[in-house]
Amino acid sequence: MPGKVSNINATPASLTGMEREIHACLDQKQYREAFDRMLPEFQNKVFRLAYAMLGEAGAAEDMAQDVFIRIWKALPGYRGQSSLSTWIYAITRNACLSALRKAGIKREVSMEEPGVARIAEETGLTVGGGAAAGIDVLRFLRQLPSKYQQVLRLYYLEEKSYEEVARLLEWPMGTVKVYLHRARKELAEAIARGNI
Amino acid sequence: MACPEFEDRLIEYAAIEGEARACVDTHLAECAECRQFLEALRVVDMELTARFSGREASAALAATVQRRIEREASARRLSFVPEILDFVGWGAIVALLGMMAWWVVPFIPAFNANQTALSLNTALAAGGAFLLVALFIGLRSLADLKH
Repeated sequence: MPGKVSNINATPASLTGMEREIHACLDQKQYREAFDRMLPEFQNKVFRLAYAMLGEAGAAEDMAQDVFIRIWKALPGYRGQSSLSTWIYAITRNACLSALRKAGIKREVSMEEPGVARIAEETGLTVGGGAAAGIDVLRFLRQLPSKYQQVLRLYYLEEKSYEEVARLLEWPMGTVKVYLHRARKELAEAIARGNI
Repeated sequence: MACPEFEDRLIEYAAIEGEARACVDTHLAECAECRQFLEALRVVDMELTARFSGREASAALAATVQRRIEREASARRLSFVPEILDFVGWGAIVALLGMMAWWVVPFIPAFNANQTALSLNTALAAGGAFLLVALFIGLRSLADLKH
């Protein structure tokens, strides 16, 4: 229609085919169609991001549901200020942070605290010689500062892609690499210490 | 504890190659602590890969979300039936009061003087009452919608 002002700003060339389709639906205010395309496209990403942040698959599943309900309600207000994926991940992060704050489980364990090392010493864990199967790495993981936990979980959930971790958490790539490096070091030292 | 000068290279062991890798391998051959550290890193990688790699949302997620949206939409769907019933009820009350007034007014001497004026006043009063009722119901509906 000549002179018609688009609801969504000019779509960036970097968008995927599916994102373009979703933008086209939003442009025509076809919110149901846009949402029906969006849900299968983003459900795994939203779930993994929630899993990385919350640390439990069940909680992440519930959170993913809530996030999509929020997205559905907020869809008419989406104006394309940021890419669709950026918008969806921001909603997911905010929802997870709110849930963590609400539940009071956002623990920041200092790197100086001997939490991880203490578990290794208490349990007398060993490494090598086939003993690895007896090591509960997740238990050590939970003793790390939350940002290290998040980055480690997401790194493995996203098939070891630094780019995806940086994109989902919206952290600089350098930060992601530094946190991953420190988290791995902390975990490996704690596990190795059990054998020294 | 791994030797500090080799620690970073051990953490990135899988990514290093060539001369740097050969240097680390030479050191590993003679340092038990670094070997142990590398083994611990391998365990961490193996366990976390096994735990998290390839995890996806449950197959029921999309269907559950769609059901919740449907449920919320139907809960929010507006019904004007209560407002219509309100209107009928209040209309009946006003009509009853009007009939009572019509019945009482002829017995008041002052009103007998001018029947035309009386009819006009009665019509205006009934119209005003209906407007008030409509306004009251409208405000109530608005408050309900806001709620």
